Amino acid sequence: MVDVPIPETTRIRVEGPWIVRLRRFAEITRRVLRNPTTLAGLLIIVALLSLAILAPVLTEPNVPDPYQMPRDWGARDAPPGTPGHPLGTTSTGGDVFYGVLWGARTSLQLSVIVVGITVTVGTIVGSLAGFIGGKLDEILMRTVDILLAIPELIFALAIAAVLGPSFGNIIFALSVVFWVKYARIIRGQIIHVKQNEYVDAARVIGDSKLKIYLKDVLPNSITPVIVQATMDMGGIVLTAATLSFIGLSEAGLAEWGVLVSDGQAGISAGKWWASTFPGLMVFLWALGFNLVGDGMRDVLDPRTESR
Amino acid sequence: MQIREYLIRRLMIFPLIIVGTSIIVFVLSRVGGNPVGIYLEHEMSAEEVAQLEERYGLNEPLPVQYFAWARGVLTGDMGWSGVSAQPVTEALIDRIGATLELAIFAAIVAITLGVGLGTFGGARRDRWPDHMTRVLSISGASMPIFWFAILLLIVFWVNLGWFSTGRSDPTIFESIPHPTNIYTLDAILAGNFKALLDALHHLILPSVTLGFGATAIIARMMRSSLVEELNEDYVDAARAKGLPERLVLRRHARRNALIPTVTVIGLGFGFLLQGTVVVEIIFRWPGLGRWMADAVLRGDQATIMAYVLFTSVLFLTVNLVVDIMYAYLDRRVVLGA
Amino acid sequence: MTASAPTPPQVTLDPAPRVAAVEDLRVYFQTKAGLVHAVDGVSFDIRDREVLGLVGETGSGKSVTARSFLRLIQTPPGIYAGGSISFWSREARDTGAEPIDLLEIPDSEMLDVRGDRIAMIFQDPGKALNPALTIREQIAEVFYQHRSAELLDGLDEERSWIIRRAARQQSRALERFLLKLPPLRSKAAKLRRRVDEHVAAALAETQIPNPKKIMASYPHELSGGMKQRVMIAQALACNPDLLIADEPTTALDVTIQAKILELIRQLQEAHQTAVLYISHDLSLVRQICDRVAVMYAGRIAETGDTEVIFGDPLHPYTRGLMAAVPSAAHKRGELTAIEGAVPELVSPPPSCRFHTRCPFATEVCATIDPALVETNETGHRVACHIYGLPPGAVGEGPMPSFERRTR
Repeated sequence: MVDVPIPETTRIRVEGPWIVRLRRFAEITRRVLRNPTTLAGLLIIVALLSLAILAPVLTEPNVPDPYQMPRDWGARDAPPGTPGHPLGTTSTGGDVFYGVLWGARTSLQLSVIVVGITVTVGTIVGSLAGFIGGKLDEILMRTVDILLAIPELIFALAIAAVLGPSFGNIIFALSVVFWVKYARIIRGQIIHVKQNEYVDAARVIGDSKLKIYLKDVLPNSITPVIVQATMDMGGIVLTAATLSFIGLSEAGLAEWGVLVSDGQAGISAGKWWASTFPGLMVFLWALGFNLVGDGMRDVLDPRTESR
Repeated sequence: MQIREYLIRRLMIFPLIIVGTSIIVFVLSRVGGNPVGIYLEHEMSAEEVAQLEERYGLNEPLPVQYFAWARGVLTGDMGWSGVSAQPVTEALIDRIGATLELAIFAAIVAITLGVGLGTFGGARRDRWPDHMTRVLSISGASMPIFWFAILLLIVFWVNLGWFSTGRSDPTIFESIPHPTNIYTLDAILAGNFKALLDALHHLILPSVTLGFGATAIIARMMRSSLVEELNEDYVDAARAKGLPERLVLRRHARRNALIPTVTVIGLGFGFLLQGTVVVEIIFRWPGLGRWMADAVLRGDQATIMAYVLFTSVLFLTVNLVVDIMYAYLDRRVVLGA
Repeated sequence: MTASAPTPPQVTLDPAPRVAAVEDLRVYFQTKAGLVHAVDGVSFDIRDREVLGLVGETGSGKSVTARSFLRLIQTPPGIYAGGSISFWSREARDTGAEPIDLLEIPDSEMLDVRGDRIAMIFQDPGKALNPALTIREQIAEVFYQHRSAELLDGLDEERSWIIRRAARQQSRALERFLLKLPPLRSKAAKLRRRVDEHVAAALAETQIPNPKKIMASYPHELSGGMKQRVMIAQALACNPDLLIADEPTTALDVTIQAKILELIRQLQEAHQTAVLYISHDLSLVRQICDRVAVMYAGRIAETGDTEVIFGDPLHPYTRGLMAAVPSAAHKRGELTAIEGAVPELVSPPPSCRFHTRCPFATEVCATIDPALVETNETGHRVACHIYGLPPGAVGEGPMPSFERRTR
């Protein structure tokens, strides 16, 4: 190679008072957003989140349960543009526009819950394995290997199937499946970070293990977890919608996968809208988070490809 | 020589992981309640139920039940599949051909497109074709397969009428024998051109649908490994010989970039496997995926267990083969250089 | 060594014709930190049949200079910001034709120069050989690329278009497949055997034992020295007019270094090729080079005949380099090093690049760029204010305040 010093983006070490950290955070954000595709992803996310938040304003919430599709039995299979049903209706008179908006709300709840659970569990398990090591590490990691042997969707499908069809069970199934990746990522990171000098320095000073972990090890290990979590915000909605599509949600739920499944029967008769719009939402949701996650990965750790 | 040790370790762990997976599958089947359910009929008395449980060993402790089940699996007895009304093993054998055929064609689509796109983007790093392929491959990873399938059907089946669902035209399908149950192969063996065309015609949409997501994985990997290879000295050395850029890229950089790309084929294969469930539902493809989907909706545990176990073992095996292939292909790794 | 300052020029008035002339070459790199002036106004000549050493530390721009000959710098981030590299091929010299400017010729013409008229040997043969191709395949490429006409010569009856295209490496996937099938297979085999003969001959020339066996090997099966021999065979395959050797022995064991060096020298004489030898190792340069150019931070600091440079180095940087070379004259444990490191080359101000590290630096060094001017010895040029040479003038007598230290 040409022997010219070209500055490289390297792993950012977290340290210093909060103002310094904040400034560094701002710098990273600026770098992430410099990429036009990342910016596009962020705009998609903002748009979808506004839809989710504004759903009760833009539509009349269904009573008693706004997460159930309202039925307009007088206007079944209405095409887009029908008064009162801008995106048309399903074969059971469900308003597609309502489903699209409230589906965003459903997805937001779903992804926040599942990401919250899986990141927490994965971080704890991975930290125990990586920071304590030894036998515990061996046992935990072999378990992780076994859990990773079953393809994600099929594992979730099987769990949700034995528990019976309900959206709650989908959430549970996804939580069981998705934490494993985080455990593996954080363990690898911690083993790497542990070897750094500043960890030794903290040990010499006499900091307790817990303090070293919380102050030095965890903050410096978390970056790839954040990237993965961003992508999973999309991936979880995608997988949940797939499970719903197969039929593991309650019927009538305002959820995109359920709606696509409802609309599927009508497509041979030319009724394309009932599947198309909710499916598009799933796609945009996943696309937005994947674009942002990918952009973050480029800046935060350029060398790691996921998994 | 580290790689050899790694492979030996990998081979030794392989059966352990399979055993572990089977335990998970077994536990899963007992979480959902008593598996005797599928044999129950209405108006059975508690005694009759108890008799049934006794007959199938369901009153034994769980470890004993596990070993009984595992012995069954090893001898090819995986119970009765309620959804297809035949023994699970038989049902599995009947359907595996259709799914494998679909997966293989989807893999061809994914590898061709993925390598092509990855090369296209990687060779034009940070210029607009690169950004385009990046967006395209992230789109592939974000695409709900079920929705993509429906879109394709709306366009090519409902509106254009070029393709239809299903695996075959039944009359053509029945005109040839099916020794392998892989339709294209059977058609070639029978020397029936019409059947071959029929098979391919029905394969196009589902394999494109299924392959699209895996394309993304391969394209991303191909792109980044090509970018890395293009920075290697031997690429400059090839240029210094006077080779045109076309040959530098194709014969030198791409060939080496393909090696790390092999590692994601395992990942891509997992993606294909799970995609078959949805694709087979939508395209009415008579394979394992649809069988699983039926079983899921009807709570047919024997079928679910068999499917999950079978898919996982297949997935693990493919990954093992990929690792061995990688170690063989990458001569630099073998030397530990 | 024997050269003393006041002796008149003893060089013949008719110096060997030039193979290449670098004029005010500027190569910059666009980086996140700014525009790096990696090579910033470099000029030197390479004469026929000579070995010119280009010496400098890492980051001095010597590799960038060398790669510019073949336009191997990636643009972007690289920018050829100015200057020219004139090149006279043997043919051009014989016919008295004008030189070509390597920075200006179209890409297609560049392809004909690379590997044929100008060849290059890389620093690490382990990295410069493609790990996925056999040695045969890699050397054969050179012959296919530049000698396809000769390969086909005498294969008259075999001259189907598909074979012709194969000999020029233009075959498409379908053709490559057809070439494996019976009617073309035997014809392709004849072509192949011909290429094999050339490859074996090229390898034999580098004193590789058992070339046939080496041809079938992959790079990882060979030792470092063997790989470098392969690189040399590949470079000299088409009998180039100029060979660029970019630190060809740095990655090798010391015992093998000497052999490779000897081999390069021998083949250089046999092929009557000019060599641009890039190195940071002064003792190697002294062994092999006829003339030396010392580079520092993208500039030529000093240039002249090897004996002159080593016997009477003028530039403080060159002196520092010489002092840093361990030799018998040094006492044990007494190793000199130049203080500091090569400066940042991002938008450098007009100044002597060395002034930050120079023990003799004065105010003028920080504000004015010294020009490379001829000293009293023909061909010996130095860029340093100490000598008080007004630009363009030839100095007389010993330098003020900088007495040559004789041991």
